[in-house]
Amino acid sequence: MNNALFFKELKRNRKNTLIWTSIVLTFTMMILSIFPSFSHMGEDMVKLMSSLPEEYAKAFGMDEATWSSIIGFYATYYGIYITLLMGIYTASTGATIIGKEERDGTAEFLLTRPISRGAVVMTKLGVLGTLFIVVYFLQSLVAVIGMNLFASEINWSAMLAMHVHGFFLIGFFTAVGVLMGSMLSVKLNFMGPVVGMIFGTYFLNAIASASEAVAWLAYLSPYHYMPLTLEQGQLEISVIPCVGFAAATAAMLWVAYNRYLSKDIVG
Amino acid sequence: MKAIEFDLLSKYYGEHKGVEEINFSVQRGEVFGFIGPNGAGKSTAIRSLLGLLKPTSGSASILGYDVAKEGVAARSKVGYLPSEVDFYPEMTSRELLEYHAALYGLKNAGGRIEELADYFELALDRPIDDLSYGNKKKCAIIQAVLHEPEVLILDEPTGGLDPLMQNRFFELLEDLNKQGVTIFFSSHILSEIQRMCDRAAIIRDGKIIAIEDISTLLAKQMKKVRMMLNSEVELVLPEGAKNHHSTGKKHHFDYVGPTSKLIQWLGDCDLADVVLTEPDLESIFMNYYER
Repeated sequence: MNNALFFKELKRNRKNTLIWTSIVLTFTMMILSIFPSFSHMGEDMVKLMSSLPEEYAKAFGMDEATWSSIIGFYATYYGIYITLLMGIYTASTGATIIGKEERDGTAEFLLTRPISRGAVVMTKLGVLGTLFIVVYFLQSLVAVIGMNLFASEINWSAMLAMHVHGFFLIGFFTAVGVLMGSMLSVKLNFMGPVVGMIFGTYFLNAIASASEAVAWLAYLSPYHYMPLTLEQGQLEISVIPCVGFAAATAAMLWVAYNRYLSKDIVG
Repeated sequence: MKAIEFDLLSKYYGEHKGVEEINFSVQRGEVFGFIGPNGAGKSTAIRSLLGLLKPTSGSASILGYDVAKEGVAARSKVGYLPSEVDFYPEMTSRELLEYHAALYGLKNAGGRIEELADYFELALDRPIDDLSYGNKKKCAIIQAVLHEPEVLILDEPTGGLDPLMQNRFFELLEDLNKQGVTIFFSSHILSEIQRMCDRAAIIRDGKIIAIEDISTLLAKQMKKVRMMLNSEVELVLPEGAKNHHSTGKKHHFDYVGPTSKLIQWLGDCDLADVVLTEPDLESIFMNYYER
């Protein structure tokens, strides 16, 4: 790790991080703040739910618990929006944080200083990890505060499981972003591929959940292995998939790291 | 001791040749020119020397440090001035130079930054994005010398500088060289090489075609001969003469060969006047390229 590079990169990414974090935190608080309105509708919402096609409810992980408990309500939005937003932010940052130097022509400046490529990559991954942790923990903190503000009975173990799964899922997407950045042209605008990857895998899982005929599609989506919605109001930590995702994340970062070490920097 | 050494270094981009079996060294304290037109392989050689490109075969070293294995140690001794200036646009010159100093582990570099900025008349607190190309180049020069390197690698260093700043830059280089700094000067502006360098390598199509002292290059190459005879006669030119033109008693031609033989031949002529002109490096360069 190189301190000068670390703090420069943090400064360079602060504006982008501030914007994305503000969006995620505002959205989290907004979701939780509207829960009391839905919960007061009680049976009306259950009736409304029963009028929805069963496949639709399954696709988006909705059941009666969605409207009767804040954790069920939050889980639906956490899976659909919050992990998508955070995943898009961290994966797109991961895709560009190293390659940006090459794209902007500043790699020549940086890599002709007395700093090894390994230190450059590790420092940049350190910055990425820091930004990820900051956004992730701020979002979790705001969620905890919001739940305490807008509900009295909270299933904290389900909340913990959901956020642990979210952590590994977003970490996985971030590593895919870093890998994409190391493999593809630095001139590519990575936002499109990143959004496509995250939305695509989400909807793949949603479609598979909705129809038995294409249930096998779920195996292609990381969302399948890291459930974010509740079943019968409960959710437990899936330990083995968490370990698997951590290993896959580490493997992708290792490949990207080695790719950067051997890469020609062409001006 | 060798300051820079290329040891049969080759770099291919797939099938395309960048440089092939470059094999020469630069002595410590030397000002060494590296001459070649755009696309000849100068930048590929420099980028390989700095570790930006991985050689296909061979190696390069700086002050005895293999740049592939001990790149950090090698680069800690080097100041590099790139041909294209790409810095962080959101930074000011001062921030960039402070960042550069931090990457070299320099403390209290502020005074030296101010001193060099005054010398080159560079405004330090304007964003780099707002600077003209010439001012960006000044910033690039300052970052190349700020950490007092032992070896300076300059790639087309004067582009964008006005004549006054070019002169200041050359004076700075001369001063640094007197202090023992080795200078590797890559350029296609031959008058700069002629002014600054002791020796030069000429690169063509990725291969080194000559390494000579500048004085040797100048001495053994073509001379321009302008002479006036006392009478109009049919002249039998010496061996090595070409491009002969004559008008009455006036003759001029180019001569490649031993100077002593030319003098001997001139002594046999009924001369009214003669002028021998040393070729400029441009002529030498073209001469090499025509071979």
